Amino acid sequence: MTEYLIRRVLQSVLVIFLITLLTFLLIHAAPGGPTKVMLSPGLSPEVLEQQAKNLGLDKPIPVQYVHWIGDLLQGDLGYTFKNHIAVSDLLWPRIANTFILMGAAWLVSLVISIPWGIYNSTKVYGLSDQTASFISYLGFAMPTFWFGILLQQWLSIKLDWFPLSDMHSRGHEGDIGDLFMHLVLPVTVLALGFLASYMKYARSSMLEVLDQDYIRTARAKGVQERKVVFRHALRNALIPIITILGLDLPILVAGATLTENVFNWPGMGRWFVEMANSREYSALMSITIVIAVMVVIGNLVADILYAVVDPRVKLGKQGGKAA
Amino acid sequence: MSTDHSQLVAQSSASASGTPDSGLAPTPGPQIPADVSKRPPGPWVVLWKKFSRNPYAMSGLIVLLVFIIAGILAPKLTKFDPAAIDLMFPNLKPGAEGHLLGTDELGRDVFTRLLYSARISLMIGFSVALASVAIGSVIGAISGYFGGWVDTVFMRIVDVMNSVPSLFLNILFMAIFGSQIKYMILILALTSWMSIARLVRGTFLQLREMQYVEAAKAIGVSSWGIIFRHLLRNASFPIIVNATLMVGGAILSESALSYLGLGVQAPKASWGVMLSNAQEFMLVDPMQAVYPGLCILLVVLAVNFIGDGIRDALDPRQQVTKSRRRLEKWRKNYSKSGN
Amino acid sequence: MAEKLLEIRKLTTGFATEKGLVKATDAISISVKKGQTVCLVGESGSGKSVTSLAIMRLIDYAGGMIMEGSIHFHGQDLAAKNQEDMRLIRGNQIAMIFQDPMSSLNPVFTVGEQIAESLRLHQNKGNDEAMKAAVDLLKLVGIPAPEIRAKQYPHELSGGMCQRVVIAIALACNPELLIADEPTTALDVTVQAQILDLLRKLQAELGMSILLITHDMGVAAEMADRIAVMYAGAIVEEGTVEEIFDHPSHPYTVGLLQSIPGFEGERGGELYTIRGTIPPIGQLPSGCRFHPRCPHAMDVCRSQEPPNFMITSDHRTSCWLFQDKPVQTDYSDEVRTHG
Repeated sequence: MTEYLIRRVLQSVLVIFLITLLTFLLIHAAPGGPTKVMLSPGLSPEVLEQQAKNLGLDKPIPVQYVHWIGDLLQGDLGYTFKNHIAVSDLLWPRIANTFILMGAAWLVSLVISIPWGIYNSTKVYGLSDQTASFISYLGFAMPTFWFGILLQQWLSIKLDWFPLSDMHSRGHEGDIGDLFMHLVLPVTVLALGFLASYMKYARSSMLEVLDQDYIRTARAKGVQERKVVFRHALRNALIPIITILGLDLPILVAGATLTENVFNWPGMGRWFVEMANSREYSALMSITIVIAVMVVIGNLVADILYAVVDPRVKLGKQGGKAA
Repeated sequence: MSTDHSQLVAQSSASASGTPDSGLAPTPGPQIPADVSKRPPGPWVVLWKKFSRNPYAMSGLIVLLVFIIAGILAPKLTKFDPAAIDLMFPNLKPGAEGHLLGTDELGRDVFTRLLYSARISLMIGFSVALASVAIGSVIGAISGYFGGWVDTVFMRIVDVMNSVPSLFLNILFMAIFGSQIKYMILILALTSWMSIARLVRGTFLQLREMQYVEAAKAIGVSSWGIIFRHLLRNASFPIIVNATLMVGGAILSESALSYLGLGVQAPKASWGVMLSNAQEFMLVDPMQAVYPGLCILLVVLAVNFIGDGIRDALDPRQQVTKSRRRLEKWRKNYSKSGN
Repeated sequence: MAEKLLEIRKLTTGFATEKGLVKATDAISISVKKGQTVCLVGESGSGKSVTSLAIMRLIDYAGGMIMEGSIHFHGQDLAAKNQEDMRLIRGNQIAMIFQDPMSSLNPVFTVGEQIAESLRLHQNKGNDEAMKAAVDLLKLVGIPAPEIRAKQYPHELSGGMCQRVVIAIALACNPELLIADEPTTALDVTVQAQILDLLRKLQAELGMSILLITHDMGVAAEMADRIAVMYAGAIVEEGTVEEIFDHPSHPYTVGLLQSIPGFEGERGGELYTIRGTIPPIGQLPSGCRFHPRCPHAMDVCRSQEPPNFMITSDHRTSCWLFQDKPVQTDYSDEVRTHG
């Protein structure tokens, strides 16, 4: 287990390293590069040069990369160009806001989709299964931002049940009830997307397991059908689901970007688009890295959980016990 | 039941073997030798037969064709210019002044803009799918053929690409390279080739192990030719399914980028641009948000139905699920215990 | 004579397929007496496994159903029971072991847990008590160091070990009838013999009846008191092991016996095979179902299905070659003659 863990962590570090390299090169390959974009226009050449020097932009690209990585490791994510604010000061609160939104949507969709998918696997092509399949198709084909706009028009503007956008009403910061009301619409939008895929995974994973010989053995033993599903099949079916949950994190994060923009949610995704529009390279690079790290950690956690849940994956078991 | 004693395996009659090279088509083992006169239909015919029996897939195909034709014939179907601003008639109701679906806040004809958006969205969708197939096939083929460190490097790249959400990459790339349609196609393709590469690589790895490839190498025939032929035969259908689904994904990505202001730029029309506009003027004219979204939904649904239809037509397991539905009915009618 | 434990009469089962509802077994009748071993022999696709699933009523979960006929066990008709009542019989009075021991065990539970589950279900044993009994059962089926093995997962055991575990699960509640569906097919030859020995030993100790399903005449010869030969969903010949081996009457049985390597009747060192293949489910020929492959086929065979002809009071065959023998009029009569 330990050995396996170490190997996976090293792999993850390598992937993160490659992502930093890719991001850095991309940004420096941009037409004009950061030098031109980052510097304020209309300054005299001498001032420009001085500014570039201050930012280390006159050095060769490999040197710049090493500097950047060094700063990154110390938690220094650079500064924005516009107002020269530390990127880290801006980034962390936004990440927290994104987590609130994403976490809520994730929980809601998991709580609905997994049991529903399992139920449908036992009643294939029943009414519930057909409904779920219809929702899945909608979830996959509907632009999330459009769904968001429709909900705003209907539940917010027309019926005035929920606030139109933002995270707090003015003067209600820290009010949980207010936050909850603001969460309802974006969470609904986000959850639909997750729901569509999780339900499909849960259903197909269960169907595959229910077809296995050991399920027949369990029935031949006289196990109650309920127990066949929840004890014998579910534990096996959850193994691939857990992996997929980890691998799906990128979609989760991306989904949040659009939803945050629709509902003006002060999260990382909306900020990313803002920064992209104003070409704030330090911020863009930081967000990309943060997301990559999150995703890689998600995959790692999924892998470790996989090894915990599935007794067949027990690498270096003795070593793990001895340690 | 599946394992059988060799003694019991009967000598197969000569007709049962069929043509050795019938590719994907499962050779129907005819029992009666008289069947030999009928040539088994080719894989495309079989595919189309099954596909055309699927109502979802067929309605998807029809909807998609309607959109494609509407996009191509856009200038013929409307007398308005999609970008023409007419401040005399903003926010017209549908039908007013000859505007089928009314006008937007700048007096532009909504129906016309929807038509021209179909053009752009479909063009982007299909181009991205084609470009992804091209990129993915080349990378997958190189990776699978050479193996070793080349394979490792490419597969690491695939891992990296998969671990960053593609929308983020798209936003990043668009921000860096600027929002031109040719860049958008390239960028969307660059963030969606991975599944094709995996597929092609997998097929290559399989083929490399095959006896006839080994044999061809042994007698000095270039194995490239053989591999290429078999690759086309074995991987082309899965690639088509994948590419079809990719068209839908690309259209969604395009609309998302355009909605965020990083894709198609006004005054050009795109469903995403229209939605972004509509959200601003939500209070004035709520219907404006409905049309473009509905178009995206319909096209993507259509493309997904087509992709699923092709996949189901290829997948022998589909037959089992179909029968399961029938079984429920029969069980009620014929089963002794009634359950 | 011993009392009949299981009596199957005119059992017809069906499956839903692309082509409609097709029969997997066609009015088959067999009975198993107390302490007896009956072998169902046939090629794969002959319906022998379906029969075993039907007795357990697991056929309902496999996409099939019992359409007609009865399965009397202790005077109750299992075919008419609901699943909840069946559940109390399964694993308790009737137990089953399957072909592939590795895939028949749940990979996420220890083997001890899997055995103990039966005991908890049917004998209301507590956790500790059930685990202790599970260890005893592992000892009974000849697994060394049972205390350690009980805590292991199936993937840590060999195929032969797994089959012993599967047998232990089946024997947990002292069943009166054990159905063994190809219990040795997936195992190595040396292990096969061990498992068969084990089954024989356990039968002698526990006094249960065994319905053994196999494609292997050799296994049948070793284990059976009675043999029923199945072909394409019907029993074509049935009798005591001596009758079947000494006086095989149905041409299919003769063919099966001739195709055993080293068996009498083997011609010139060449392995005998029956020409043709078993017809797929739902595509039965007219008349006798074996006539397209039969070396003795006559006109009557092509048009009329043969009834059961009684060769002796203990031996019936379904072949027109024996039309001078008395026809079995009713199955219950036949039972009476040797009951």
